[in-house]
Amino acid sequence: MSLEGFEVAVVGAGPAGSAAALTLAREGVQVLLVERGTFPGSKNVFGGRIYSYALKRLLGERWKDAPVERFVRKEGITFMTADSSFSVEYESKDPTGSFTSIRSKFDKWLAEEAEKAGASLITDSRVDDLVLERGIVKGIIAGPDKIPTDVVIACDGTTTNLARKAGLASMLEPREVSIGMKDVIELPADKMEERLGLEPEEGAAHVFVGECSGGLRGGGFLYTNKDSLALGMVVGADDISTKKVPSHTLMDRLRNHRKVRRLIRGGKTIEYDAHMIPEAGPKMLTRPYTGGMLVAGDAAGHLLNNGYTFRGVDMAIVSGIAAAQTILEARKRKDYSAQSLQTYARRLREEPALKDMYTFSKVPRYLRNNRLYNVYPELVCNAAEAIYRVDGNRKRKIYKELRTQTKGKVSTISLIRDLLAGARTF
Amino acid sequence: MSEKQEDMSLDKRLALVSFNKDPEPFIVVDTKLCQQCEKKPCLYICPAQVYTWQDQLTYNTEGCMETGACLIVCHKIGAKAISWKYPSGGKGVSFRLG
Repeated sequence: MSLEGFEVAVVGAGPAGSAAALTLAREGVQVLLVERGTFPGSKNVFGGRIYSYALKRLLGERWKDAPVERFVRKEGITFMTADSSFSVEYESKDPTGSFTSIRSKFDKWLAEEAEKAGASLITDSRVDDLVLERGIVKGIIAGPDKIPTDVVIACDGTTTNLARKAGLASMLEPREVSIGMKDVIELPADKMEERLGLEPEEGAAHVFVGECSGGLRGGGFLYTNKDSLALGMVVGADDISTKKVPSHTLMDRLRNHRKVRRLIRGGKTIEYDAHMIPEAGPKMLTRPYTGGMLVAGDAAGHLLNNGYTFRGVDMAIVSGIAAAQTILEARKRKDYSAQSLQTYARRLREEPALKDMYTFSKVPRYLRNNRLYNVYPELVCNAAEAIYRVDGNRKRKIYKELRTQTKGKVSTISLIRDLLAGARTF
Repeated sequence: MSEKQEDMSLDKRLALVSFNKDPEPFIVVDTKLCQQCEKKPCLYICPAQVYTWQDQLTYNTEGCMETGACLIVCHKIGAKAISWKYPSGGKGVSFRLG
């Protein structure tokens, strides 16, 4: 393939990159989509779920061709101590809002959609640098190839080498990233459905907080694929490092909890995956654009963990679309200067789906409160134990019981402050 | 009811992942600096335990899952000893079920 004559280079064929490439190619723009893996998705790992709206926006009715594992009917959260657990479960009337998937299938499919629209995909190609002329990005350098383009979209993930090369980012702080790990555990569909109380082909998403992270900032997750479970842990890089807990040991902690081990019993672990997750939000970049370049997806912090929903792929797709639309406008003006591309920042702020990042912008700071992981889950479980246990000893009113449980664990002031801050943050 | 799940050792886990070794060294550590490193965060952060300590830092890039987290913790908490980039195109880890 000749690497000449491309107007746009999109670096990284994940959801942001493929969505951007597809949107541009559909409008007749000459787009090169560059992927360092042997195929799109081969380097990517996520918990397991994609919110459908973003795909609908990108593809209309054709979103239904996506490689879906299961639509998510049940949402749940479990607070756990070493030997007890308190779970809440919600069963939705409409499961089509989100689905579980596998990245080697999903990302591959989405990149193929971009190709069908006219984008050119090259794989096995690591982009090492930008072509810079007087501070303006004029192309990319991939191995021996210098590829000149009018504009570049960097969708190169959390580590975003390109945003750093362009001076838009410095190295992230350990507290701004988490490490995610997961085991994929093969389990026959009927067994999985029985254990999780699901109708055939329906799926579940579940979050675990407390004992599984050993008091560290983080938690566990479970998603149902067709005939496997995606079971994993996400923990703060700062906590792991300073408290000296080898990250992978948390996986066994989770697997051995009574709540979890029942679910995975007899299952066969067929893959272990890991990935780094940015938790800083859009402020991980000074700005998501510069002369000749836009940044989208994980690379721009376009994802959201608000403690009960974990969104990455949908936001990546939406930000990829926004980047492409910005370029389509700039292309009419034939002007890819920073000034011309700054409308991207406005688009991101005005886009309702991405607005959530700003609405919940204080969440990361709130979630850094370690009481959420090492005090409150235990409190919830102990309170439930006290409420439900009948042993012939005198029972106290629930309120009194709750007060007793907090004694010595958390001061009333901290408790009230956490509750109020929570109310303001979420 | 109470039997323990069989622990999946890290070796067992890593045996489930496919790697295509990059002949070029994409991780290079100035291990002299590690001698002075107090916290040694790389030993804990890496989900594949690429870094181990036996009187000095040793590392085996073959199991690297390319999270990039080691670089951050080394430079912000550790001795700034690690230089890290992704393996060459097409090399390194390949996830089938990520």
